[in-house]
Amino acid sequence: MSWEDAWQPVVDAVGRDFGCGEVIEGADAVDASALRRFLEPLELDCPLHHDDRVAREHGYRGVVAPFSSYFTFVAPPLWRPDEAAVFTSDERDAPPEGIAARRFATGLEPPYSGYFAADFELELLRPVVLGDRLHRTGMKLVSCTPKETSVGRGAFMTWEWEVRNQRADVVARFRNTMYLYDPH
Amino acid sequence: MDWSAQRYWDDVTEGDDVPRVEFPLTVFRLVVEAGANRDFNAIHHNSELARTSGAPEMYANTGFLLGMWERAIREFAGLGGSVRRITGFRMRRFNVVGQTVVVRGRVLGKRREDDAALVELELWSEVDGEVTVGPGTVTVALPERTS
Repeated sequence: MSWEDAWQPVVDAVGRDFGCGEVIEGADAVDASALRRFLEPLELDCPLHHDDRVAREHGYRGVVAPFSSYFTFVAPPLWRPDEAAVFTSDERDAPPEGIAARRFATGLEPPYSGYFAADFELELLRPVVLGDRLHRTGMKLVSCTPKETSVGRGAFMTWEWEVRNQRADVVARFRNTMYLYDPH
Repeated sequence: MDWSAQRYWDDVTEGDDVPRVEFPLTVFRLVVEAGANRDFNAIHHNSELARTSGAPEMYANTGFLLGMWERAIREFAGLGGSVRRITGFRMRRFNVVGQTVVVRGRVLGKRREDDAALVELELWSEVDGEVTVGPGTVTVALPERTS
């Protein structure tokens, strides 16, 4: 079997929603501290993101979250108080337990150790403001293209999903492509 | 940045430049970014591990690169603008530590759609003159002078 054939089960799964109706809740609500930290490395000083008065003057319900922060506010926690330990190894580069399950993947992939995001499209439908809570729904595989690149052999997998707020309003639709690969 | 100045749809012309924004990448900044946006994939803060994955060095994560575009768009559109859609945000090359990412763009055109006055921007990131992200298309709604 060629390395490309090993990806055939994933190619055959195109069109399937691997979200299985699951709602992935972000670990934290959109709060002022998290927003401040988000803006810091970007040095993004737009007052819509830190000044309630200015945000309301421009028609928003409150301080606005940057759209690039939506990934952050749909990210689940690494660990919760009622869960088992996740930092179980002292191997230098060991990731916490369970982190692989958070990736965009089907479980049908051949062995891979590398992955990175390659492409994004987003449609922004509603603003997100301080106090909102975001969650991710849907995880539909819309394409899978095996390809060898400079970093390894793997496949580009494209997914569609939505971000909703606490009222279940869709605030954004995303389409992202990940490259999962076995490094050279 | 003077946020009291608003750009209006009426004043935008095809071919106008989107003001460039520069982002020098240091280890410090990448680590602050990982903590802020919670993308803890080690390729973004661990040089050794990044190299074993085939990258030349630790490199900026997706949320950071998208945030760079957001800052450039916001500085173009001002407080009254709003982003509707982004396509073509393609990460073509690694944006690695020790480099400076420059976000640049230009106006592709403008149109009205329903009640909205829209501008299409072409945006890209580059390092040493080579495109690393994009070029993508950003649809932005801008206020009109007459509204």
